[in-house]
Amino acid sequence: MEEVNVTLTVNGKEHDLNVAADERLLDTLRDRLHLTGVKEGCSIGECGACTVILDGKAVNSCMVYTFQIDGSEVLTVEGLETNGKLDPLQEAFIDHQAVQCGFCTPGMLMSAKALLKENPDPDREEIKTAIEGNLCRCTGYQQIVDAIESVVKKDGSE
Amino acid sequence: MIEFEALKANSLEEALDILAEKKKEVRMVAGGTDMLVQIHHESDDLKGMEYLLDISSIPGLDLIEDNNEYLKIGALCTHSEIMDSVLVNEKFPILKKAAEVIGSTQIRNRGTVGGNINNASPAADLVTALIALDASVVLHSKHGKRELSLSEFITGPYMTDRYEDEILTEVKVPYIQGEYFDCYQKVKRRQAVAIARINLAVITKLKDNKFDDIRIAFGSATPTAMRFREIEAELEGSDLNKIDYDKLADETGQAMVNITGERWSTPYKRPVVGNLLKRALQSIVKEVQ
Amino acid sequence: MEFKHVNKSEKRVDVYEKVTGKAKYGADMRFPDMLYGKVLRTEYPYAEIKNIDTSKAEEMPGVVAVITAADIPNNEFGVIIENQQVLAKEKALYIGDGIAVVAAETAKQAAKAAEKIEVEYEELEGIYDPLKSREEDAQLVHEELEDNQVIHHPLRKGDIKEGFEKSDVIIEREYDTPFIEQSYIEPEAVIAVPYQENSTVTVYGSVQNPFATQNAVATVLKEDLNKVRIVQNHMGGSFGGKDEVVSSMAARASVLALKTERPIKLVNTRDESIKESYKRHPYHMKYKIGATKDGKIQAMEIEAVADSGAYACQTPFVTWRSVVQATGPYEVDNVKTDTYGYYTNNVYTGAMRGYGSPQVIFAQESLMDELAEELEMDPVELRMKNIYHNNSFTASGQKLDNHEVSLEEVLTKAVEKSNFIEKYKEYSKEQPGDKKKGIGLSISFRGCSLGAEAIDAAGIILSLKKDGSVSLYSGLAENGQGLKTVYCQMAAEALGLDTEKINFMQVDTLISPDSGSTVASRATLIGGNAVKKAADNLIDKIKEYISDKYDQAKEDIYLKDGSIYGEKDVEIMTVNEMAAKAAMEGVYLTTYGWYVSPDISWDEETGHGRPYFTYVYGCQVAEVEVDTATGEIDVLNMTAAHDVGRAINPANVKGQIYGGVSMGLGYGVMEEIETDEGYIENTNFDEYMIPTVKDMPDIDPIIVENPDPNGPFGAKSIGEPTLELGAAAIANAVANATKKRIRSLPLNLERIIVGKDLHKGVDHK
Repeated sequence: MEEVNVTLTVNGKEHDLNVAADERLLDTLRDRLHLTGVKEGCSIGECGACTVILDGKAVNSCMVYTFQIDGSEVLTVEGLETNGKLDPLQEAFIDHQAVQCGFCTPGMLMSAKALLKENPDPDREEIKTAIEGNLCRCTGYQQIVDAIESVVKKDGSE
Repeated sequence: MIEFEALKANSLEEALDILAEKKKEVRMVAGGTDMLVQIHHESDDLKGMEYLLDISSIPGLDLIEDNNEYLKIGALCTHSEIMDSVLVNEKFPILKKAAEVIGSTQIRNRGTVGGNINNASPAADLVTALIALDASVVLHSKHGKRELSLSEFITGPYMTDRYEDEILTEVKVPYIQGEYFDCYQKVKRRQAVAIARINLAVITKLKDNKFDDIRIAFGSATPTAMRFREIEAELEGSDLNKIDYDKLADETGQAMVNITGERWSTPYKRPVVGNLLKRALQSIVKEVQ
Repeated sequence: MEFKHVNKSEKRVDVYEKVTGKAKYGADMRFPDMLYGKVLRTEYPYAEIKNIDTSKAEEMPGVVAVITAADIPNNEFGVIIENQQVLAKEKALYIGDGIAVVAAETAKQAAKAAEKIEVEYEELEGIYDPLKSREEDAQLVHEELEDNQVIHHPLRKGDIKEGFEKSDVIIEREYDTPFIEQSYIEPEAVIAVPYQENSTVTVYGSVQNPFATQNAVATVLKEDLNKVRIVQNHMGGSFGGKDEVVSSMAARASVLALKTERPIKLVNTRDESIKESYKRHPYHMKYKIGATKDGKIQAMEIEAVADSGAYACQTPFVTWRSVVQATGPYEVDNVKTDTYGYYTNNVYTGAMRGYGSPQVIFAQESLMDELAEELEMDPVELRMKNIYHNNSFTASGQKLDNHEVSLEEVLTKAVEKSNFIEKYKEYSKEQPGDKKKGIGLSISFRGCSLGAEAIDAAGIILSLKKDGSVSLYSGLAENGQGLKTVYCQMAAEALGLDTEKINFMQVDTLISPDSGSTVASRATLIGGNAVKKAADNLIDKIKEYISDKYDQAKEDIYLKDGSIYGEKDVEIMTVNEMAAKAAMEGVYLTTYGWYVSPDISWDEETGHGRPYFTYVYGCQVAEVEVDTATGEIDVLNMTAAHDVGRAINPANVKGQIYGGVSMGLGYGVMEEIETDEGYIENTNFDEYMIPTVKDMPDIDPIIVENPDPNGPFGAKSIGEPTLELGAAAIANAVANATKKRIRSLPLNLERIIVGKDLHKGVDHK
């Protein structure tokens, strides 16, 4: 299988990569770039554990072939913390006890981050829509929604 | 395991050249939300696949344009783009209602209308809405282009009339003259990220409180999404306040069975299709008031 | 009582690494020279394996080794009955049975090679219904056994004939529950590393019960326990589901690791996980209940038949809990209960959160509402007439006298908060329109910890370092439920230190004390008591040291806020200072705490005794809207009242309530592993549906605290009680809404509209 050359900017850093045809963005991130914060839960785009932000949009990285996205920008959970400071969403997840086993957490954070980038003032229903594709078996979602909502309220919305 | 070479088209011409050359050996991928699942499941449909052609970067295929008599929706438009489009919201809000119940946010950000149509699942939400809207599709090949109605294009469950060297490039949705009402219903096993157990698109104008040009399309009830023309004919010209809902519900269920025959799912679907139509009409009645 | 750390919603000790993506789960680990394993599983649920030809696979690029059952030193293991095959030898007994495992340089190479393994099968006709496998001349699933019965638990109290004769109303009903998948979002993953230090093999990964897995691997390899090491990584959930299936994976990986002398990574895809891993037992239950017209229950006759699938796994214990709890928390003088487990060629069944309770609670709580209807009483009234109070006797003849029996409290609080009585009256009337509202409740009692299943003990090591920091070694493990945090809080409370000073060390059989499995909602209760003991022992040592060196009476010495105080509450020195001094003087401040649970008893013939040493009580109320036009159920809100003894971390307890309600909702409304002649039809999350955020109701959690004399700081259990009630409450609410009773789970679209389930071809309930 021939390899394809792609340039990908991940968490602000540019990478020149040679990827296999059937290499998913998930595989590139986890296996090539060792960003194991991105998780594989189902491989068919149902659970959202592999969610990353691709060119500004939340996507399931198990449903994208890396060869398709030459020149794209990707943000993973590892890119949320900047200069040792946690993203407000990460702080909120900590404060609201929104994490149990933590496996869905990176995906949840990325879906939430993507939402707030597009819409800084979502209501509770919009928050739920943003994470409807992120399955969680531990938390029952309540504290996760509370956490995201708290970031919205803090951001100076009335 | 399915293995393939990656090909990427940066223009429609390039893509069509590849299709003309490699024909059955090529499969296309755009958003990937159907294709990668098929590859994961090693679907029989992919037998003979040697190449995967990525068409997601072809410029000009993701536009939504007002073409006077119809709305042109590029095949590469994602469900999210359809939901957010000012034109769609203005002209065909039912498309937004259908798009927003597809999958999840992540899936809607990648899945395309072209992909949705080409996959031709009997439960595809956009397809049901587009069938109600009398939409047509445009297909390009190296030899030219052709246009056919969406209902002609989808020939069976997961089957289309696409020739092996064609790409579906756009969907044409003819404008409806005058004010009209719409309703989209989807029955699912859970409240999000669920395939339709049954879906329904109803569109109608009103003339003196009577149904005018009423369209009723069900998905996931018959082998392909289709308009229930007998039911439409019966309602056409009827007073919307004088509907015998129970009778209508029965007839709708029967109309479905006339096509499908008695299947294992019929005891469920027969009453529910009727109930859904009832509900859709009642919501339109309410809106009118 | 005022606490500093206990009973406080302190932030989780493991949350930073989880929100940053730094936490390493099994599949995230890498080792130099590592190979990737891929399992080839059987094509048929029941088949004779005539021949396995691995030669083509072995020649594939990157392949280093291929193993089959022939390569396994001891191919059978099991926690209770050792008849689970690591790899199928002569026969595949269920659709998930593994036949061979390939080790290759890349995961892709391993997968491609696995496709090249040629297996000659003789497809056999299997047996897929436990009601058939119990018949006299049924085909044997395990030919070396006399019949297909895995276990039978009888319970006899009083005289049911008399009881039924006394009854004015008698009803008989049958209830059914399906196979359920634990659906942890992280699929199973292990890495076996050969010859690390002094271990023959070390297995890392998503291991719920490191010591059970250690035992399994040692059994399979025919190795001493002290040569097998298991290290638990962060786990992405388990809910009981990562026990035998992971032990089997660990065993396979270990054999390959020793053969290739390289680390072997074995990770399941979701499809593989659902096909292979054990499920929650489907139960077929028959209940007969008699009551006098004033609502007093006189007799209950119960039979529950569980499908054990191909292997015994945990069936003997799961059905045991059921026999203890099958009547529900009601005073009944005359009881005859029989629970059974039978082998079939279905996917095997084992531990899942609840462990034999959700099934019987669905049945018994549905039954109570049905009885209430017959008696023309409301569901609260009937229950109030029969529930346990302090000093009540259970069906096993156990007097509930050593803790507060708070059934009335949880029931009353949940009923009040949810406005049950008023809504029940309202919704019981005819409702116009297709969307009908209903409200329903369920209550339960649950025996805490293992009861008579096994020795119930746990150990903790606390090590106070010379700089004042503390290492905590525990045998019970974090599955995501918050165990690490709660233990650190308890240790901090006992030692008067900040929670941040306590470091919960990775569970590693190398040093962690074997405390049995992290199951049965026992970690806070049993493990917590061990934490306290270890802390008490440590405090004793400190007191000894201080009283010796500083001329203080031992009784006057105490630890508070990081310091040591003595006579007249004068601060002697900080703990840090003391630790440094002690170290220099050769005083060793590492202690061990071993807690053994109070005595229990069980008579296997009669079901009499004290099966659990304490119990918890819960009540959940579900308010639903049923769309009778489409069959969709919208659970609007859920009120959940749970007596936890003491909430060590209230925010955590709430999290357990929300999560448990979510799982209970899934059980009630949408979850079902669909099988057809042994094949599993829905092997991924597109078709096996678990609740999304949008399916969730508003939840009112009510934490009730009646400190248990046997619990650390009074705490007992929360993990399983929160899940076991939801489906029953929803079923009762749906019946209230639709006036129709559905006696099979899940309450899916078809059952609501048609009254029974529909499937291609086969006749269903």
